[in-house]
Amino acid sequence: MHAAGVVAPDGRAWLLTGETGCGKSTLTYALARRGWPVLGEDGVVLQHDSIGVIAHGWHDLLRVSIELAEWFPELRDHESQVDWQDTRHRVAVGATFNKRAPVAGMVVLQRDSRDALSPITSTAALATLVRQATFLFVPDNHAQSHLSVLRDLVESVPCFTLHHSPAQLACIDATILGACA
Amino acid sequence: MTRYRIVPDALSASLSDGAVLLNLYTKRYFSLNDTGSRIWSLLEHQASEEEIVETLVREYDVEKPEAARAVNRLLDDLVAERLIEPTSV
Repeated sequence: MHAAGVVAPDGRAWLLTGETGCGKSTLTYALARRGWPVLGEDGVVLQHDSIGVIAHGWHDLLRVSIELAEWFPELRDHESQVDWQDTRHRVAVGATFNKRAPVAGMVVLQRDSRDALSPITSTAALATLVRQATFLFVPDNHAQSHLSVLRDLVESVPCFTLHHSPAQLACIDATILGACA
Repeated sequence: MTRYRIVPDALSASLSDGAVLLNLYTKRYFSLNDTGSRIWSLLEHQASEEEIVETLVREYDVEKPEAARAVNRLLDDLVAERLIEPTSV
């Protein structure tokens, strides 16, 4: 699944999804700085078993744009490692990575000038995931089971859209933890 | 009595509040609301257009002419998107 995965203090994962450039890595790093382990910055593997949907990390890498140094001053220490060929001028940063966690919820990110968190229906959430899941359109014997796992995900956890401004860099943990309050 | 079959390239996922359909051939996807999802489930059971209309009239607060128009419109859309096709049976 095209999503970042982070693990909340209660041990359950939140999946941050959205189009490329929507802020997945940025908000993942904001959460990692606050002690939330990371499952992945751009992809997690989903498994549906008897206790629910489990998200597995598969790539221990977190990269964020050096332009975020305005908000995260420690990034300036990495300036010499920036990949300037990369249009987003990203640099690899440290984080704690977890291997797996049961999924607590999903958030569809959209950059905006304001901050607003809103619940979305299961159908709207699945349509969002399908739009980004190019692997679903491979006409093999697994396409229906892949779609079913995504369906099980959006049916089993609360889903939200988050319009987010830079203000979220300082409070994304409270936003997520408050989502189900 | 018109019946339809779901094409092999169509994938679907029914949800509590609707459904999502994919066409593996056209690479297009669609979401249906609760009523559309019910119609799709009836198509999965090879219901005819007339049987679908009768079911909706029974299950929803809708008059038959309005239900018939809505069903016909959705079936036309699904045919146009190559998700279903009329059968000769």
